[in-house]
Amino acid sequence: MARYQGWFALVLALAIAAGMFLVRTPLELGLDLRGGSQLTVEVKPAGEITRVGAEEMEAVKAVLDRRVNGLGVAESTLQTVGESQLVLQLPGEQDPTAAARVLGDTALLEFRAQKADTEAEFRGLRQLRSQVEAILRLREDQIRRGETPEPLDLAQLKSTQQTLGLDGQASSEEEQLRQLLNKVDADLLTMLEPAALTGKQLVTAGRQPLQNNPNSWEVTLNFDGEGAEAFADLTKSIAGTDRLLAITLDDQLISAASVGPQFKSAGISGGAATISGNFSAETARELEVKLRGGSLPLPVEVIEVRTIGPTLGAENIRRSLVAALSGLALVAVFMVVAYRLPGAVAVMALSLYALFNLAVYALIPVTLTLPGIAGFILSIGMAVDANVLIFERIKDELRRGNTLIRSIDTGFSEAFSSIVDGHLTTLISCAALFFLGTGLVKGFAATLGIGVLLSLFTALTCTRTLLRFLMGYAGLRRASNFLPTGQLPSPTA
Amino acid sequence: MTEASSSAQAATVLRLRWTLSSMRRKVWLVSGLGVLISLLGLVLSWLDPAIRAPLRPGLDFTGGTQIQLERRCDDACAELKAIQVSDVIRSLELPQEEGQPLPNLGAPRVQLLDGGQSLLLRLPTLSAAQGQAVIEAVEPVAGPFLSGGQSVDTIGPSLGKQLLRSSLISLLVAFSGIAAYISFRYDRRYAFLALVALAHDVAIVCGVFAWLGVVLQLEVDSLFAVSLLTIAGYSVNDTVVVFDRIRERSKDAADLPLSVQVDQAVSATLTRTLYTSGTTLLPLLALVVFGGATLYWFAIALALGVVVGSWSSIALAPSLFTLWDRSRD
Repeated sequence: MARYQGWFALVLALAIAAGMFLVRTPLELGLDLRGGSQLTVEVKPAGEITRVGAEEMEAVKAVLDRRVNGLGVAESTLQTVGESQLVLQLPGEQDPTAAARVLGDTALLEFRAQKADTEAEFRGLRQLRSQVEAILRLREDQIRRGETPEPLDLAQLKSTQQTLGLDGQASSEEEQLRQLLNKVDADLLTMLEPAALTGKQLVTAGRQPLQNNPNSWEVTLNFDGEGAEAFADLTKSIAGTDRLLAITLDDQLISAASVGPQFKSAGISGGAATISGNFSAETARELEVKLRGGSLPLPVEVIEVRTIGPTLGAENIRRSLVAALSGLALVAVFMVVAYRLPGAVAVMALSLYALFNLAVYALIPVTLTLPGIAGFILSIGMAVDANVLIFERIKDELRRGNTLIRSIDTGFSEAFSSIVDGHLTTLISCAALFFLGTGLVKGFAATLGIGVLLSLFTALTCTRTLLRFLMGYAGLRRASNFLPTGQLPSPTA
Repeated sequence: MTEASSSAQAATVLRLRWTLSSMRRKVWLVSGLGVLISLLGLVLSWLDPAIRAPLRPGLDFTGGTQIQLERRCDDACAELKAIQVSDVIRSLELPQEEGQPLPNLGAPRVQLLDGGQSLLLRLPTLSAAQGQAVIEAVEPVAGPFLSGGQSVDTIGPSLGKQLLRSSLISLLVAFSGIAAYISFRYDRRYAFLALVALAHDVAIVCGVFAWLGVVLQLEVDSLFAVSLLTIAGYSVNDTVVVFDRIRERSKDAADLPLSVQVDQAVSATLTRTLYTSGTTLLPLLALVVFGGATLYWFAIALALGVVVGSWSSIALAPSLFTLWDRSRD
């Protein structure tokens, strides 16, 4: 008996832990429940690359990540799915049109001249930009190392925001800084002429150390014929002035260089140019990568866009909650009517089952979707099955005239093999769905699979423990709590 | 099916008896007819010029754009006919996407749901901007729409093919995994019969949906593939419990003829099978009633699978098992 009390304490402890964990960690809801957009892009092999490998995916993702960040959407996530797909999730009510456009575009590298009479302002904004970027980088480093980032100079931040015309409404200091950065980028763009040439005309970019000073580097550019001409015209127009030649990547300024007065007559001709000035080997490499990687290394295609309004999402939550609760209630009534005391015990075990399930969802975490909830609801039905199998066996044993305790033990051990078989075959289906399926299908397989595993545990442990624990009370230890008396064999038989 | 019991036989009250061996021909007839009608549905669907496939494939498999809009109705919804909406869409000029041919909006499918409260549009694959253009064009006729109440799903044609392929592969992998497991735990006889029962269940569910596709234009989506797999798992689960008893009987009562062993095993598990089906059906019923449009047909497919699955495990699979009796003796 002491053994069962130990188990009982364990089950109780687990239930409390699960409950407390759930209170602290909210469940992750999928976009179909909270509203939002999901875009899937497929990376296509092109040119020499016939298969999209992990390295290519990494490169494409890096470029897309930056583009998506440039959209300034809160809480967006970009994940690699399968071998050649990326999924972008934009929660909340957000129009996916802009996201779809920037994901699909291949090259957004542009060469633009600065507008006349913007020198001072342009310089000021560029300075501000590098400051904010430095602060952000520092904070990210600190957070990554697990340190608390230094508090911002809020007064300065406020005044900067006011100058730029920002309201300073953002959830965190990081967000505020990012907002600032986006605003600066947008302001900088307004000071540029339309693009004179784009990354399409750039053949290669490279870097080399300066001849007279090997610690200082320069970045080299090579244009094709058409690009060479456009580049010459562009540089001619601003040579010798204070206007700069700006290079933007996805509408973000990545470099700005002055053009010397010696190019006043013909511009920089011949299709080759160098950008110099304070580049270290590292910063030169960074710019080179940006110039080369501005275009996606491989073409991508948007193959799926799903958008669900938040109201519809809330409605989905409400409906599935009602369905789950009424499903549980119906099953509970059925079990108590059909099996009496053990039925009530099973209902308790099932409540634990539901609790454990939710805790596991929060723990892994499983993102709950509509099919996922369906999987959970269905797994309730299957969890009951284990209990039904056991109780039917117990009844059989009682009808044969066995004692109650013995019947319970035999019932559990006899039902064991078919419970395991049944659960395992369902698990096989779940595994096939989970590893071969996609998106919504995966969600369903995950919750059903978790449910089946947990149901093995609750049926074989919780039900048994609770039942044995209750059998410690003489008042409950009556066969009539298990079967109508009419079905028990009479003492003389 | 139930043996009426006199008061003297109180012990058999509620104990269902199922003398399967005496009515196995009827069982085969019922199952055979069921499968035949299902196959007919699949063939008819294939011959239907609008479908040309055993089941009417939905957006998930063909690719396309589906837009659902909730209308804002304060008291009652303004009268709206689907044809008004499709006329607007037909005459709409879409914004061009670079390097893509313009989608043909000649045959939009417009459905009014929930008594005209929501609007469902099915269109060829549109870009996000084109989808927005459609919504804006429809708004003057069918609006105003509830903000936050719209959903737009766009599936590219290539993704549709991938989905179809991955669904079929996972079905096959799951089937062979289950077969391997049962052959390992029991023997090949049981595995074969479990697969026959499974194929029977899946065929009937597919058949019913093929008929629904022909008659009600119902389409199957990736959730339908999920339901088939779940039914597969469930059906085998159900059958295995019965087989487990048959195996137990064949050890404990080896001297009895096989048909009696099977009858006893089926009777002993009958309550369990019916109860389990019942308790699985209850939550599914809740899903059908409260789950909303997304899960409605999914829950119905599962419920149908549970019912057919129970039939095949208490009737079809064990009755086929008795065939070994004759071939051996």
